Amino acid sequence: MKPKGLFYTFGFLSAAVFSCAVLTVGMRPNTASAIEIPKEVTEEGKNVYKKYCAPCHGEEGGGDGPLSRSMLPKPRNFTLGAYKFRTTPSGSLPTDEDIYKTISYGVPNSTMIPWDILTEAQRASVVPVLKSFSEAFEYREPEPSVDVGLPLRPTERTILAGKKIYEEKLECWKCHGVEGRGDGPSASEQEDDFGFPIKPFDFTTGKFKGGNSPTDVYLRFTTGLNGTPMPSFAKELSDDERWYLTHYVMSLVQPEECGK
Amino acid sequence: MGYFNFPFFLSGEGTVFVRLQRIIKLFGKRWGRMKLTLSLCIFAWVFYCTHFCSEEMLAGEHYAVVEVQEGGCITGHVIRGGDAGMPSIDLYAGWELPKTSQVISEKLEVNKVNNGVKNAIISISNIERGKKGVVPPIHPIIDQQKGVFVPRVTAILAGTTVDLLNGDEEMHNIHTKSMRNQPFNLGMSYKQRISKKFDHPETVKLSCDIHQEYAWIVVFGHPYFDVTDRNGYFEICDIPEGAYVFRVWHEELGKREKEVMIRARKTESTEFVYE
Repeated sequence: MKPKGLFYTFGFLSAAVFSCAVLTVGMRPNTASAIEIPKEVTEEGKNVYKKYCAPCHGEEGGGDGPLSRSMLPKPRNFTLGAYKFRTTPSGSLPTDEDIYKTISYGVPNSTMIPWDILTEAQRASVVPVLKSFSEAFEYREPEPSVDVGLPLRPTERTILAGKKIYEEKLECWKCHGVEGRGDGPSASEQEDDFGFPIKPFDFTTGKFKGGNSPTDVYLRFTTGLNGTPMPSFAKELSDDERWYLTHYVMSLVQPEECGK
Repeated sequence: MGYFNFPFFLSGEGTVFVRLQRIIKLFGKRWGRMKLTLSLCIFAWVFYCTHFCSEEMLAGEHYAVVEVQEGGCITGHVIRGGDAGMPSIDLYAGWELPKTSQVISEKLEVNKVNNGVKNAIISISNIERGKKGVVPPIHPIIDQQKGVFVPRVTAILAGTTVDLLNGDEEMHNIHTKSMRNQPFNLGMSYKQRISKKFDHPETVKLSCDIHQEYAWIVVFGHPYFDVTDRNGYFEICDIPEGAYVFRVWHEELGKREKEVMIRARKTESTEFVYE
């Protein structure tokens, strides 16, 4: 091989290695990995829980604090270990990062605010306290998070394909309604695992409870919402079909009604 | 030195070095035989783990597997007292209802001839030792037909895999509520088949939230249980001799308990009455 050719080959190889390195750094999932979440219940965690969480969620985590009576949806009852917003498969316990994320971002359309008034260490210290309320964490381990495929670009074609899944394949309209207003024929009878009435989500509000990014919407119907009638459709849909449905559901948002 | 009886090669006179030499010498002499013994031990351990450990785990925490040579049997009848035998009034007679509302629920099915209660579960609540439970190689099936779970009540041994099917040309979901077994909530399209294993003794409620229907899976740590047939009869066999508390459970009628003495090679007969 000529020296010039060798030089080019070497240059190409090094460029390839460099781009690979850049890609892997860029593709690292953007989670709360920087924060150390303690494994054991700490005194700080107990104090933070008692001061900020117990008024609604109750001293023993039963979701029966003094303020909970006037709330619907009710504050989470931690004793069953059923957490709505997870990255793990249906029925599994959440990872520590999932709980941390819900505390940090809050739940729109409910009385759970984003707890960014607390420091990161304070929020992280509450996580083991919440886990200590449920005996489910003694019996079972959280399963590994589900894989989120590479996102597709939303086009008219993907939205139409998503509409077909919404109306024919999964029959989402039975609870969420044809226009996505949460007024389907089965909507009025729904109950959660604790016996409280629960409303199917109204997509037109645009305030998705688990987060507004396409990945968040994708994860909600892939993993289901534990403790609620919302099932997981992990076995029903291929990866592309999940993105189609994500695009369709996000297209149901009515921007002019959002200000209400 | 009463409590510190060392093996013979460590006891006696000599420095640590001399003792070590003795050990090496001993192992050197018998290494050939020891290799065989060691490999046999490992083989036996692996065999034991694969064949016996799993069964002991299946059997639950307080249940020991023994061989039952001369077991006794119990047969019985679960009946509903009162006017249960009367034909019920059809509240919807003459109504024009949509098809989805005309679901016939079999929540409480009572035989009109002998007042036998279907789908009650009998089990021994205080058994500590007994026969080995066999996990069925063919999975029990729970189907959804016209929005109703068939069968409504299933009793299984811990470790059994249950196949859940959808026989309707529409979407269903299967939502379980349990603590020790992992709960799940999965969407089911037409002809979908989902296999789930139940490892821990527990009563699990299955429901379809779209059609507001439900079913029960009762998981036991021992093989002494039965579900009553449509005439209300049940039978449990191979019970070691002794007095046991028999428990009957029905989703609508609740629990009843009764102590029955089981004798070897005899068949006892009993009756549970819901007033």
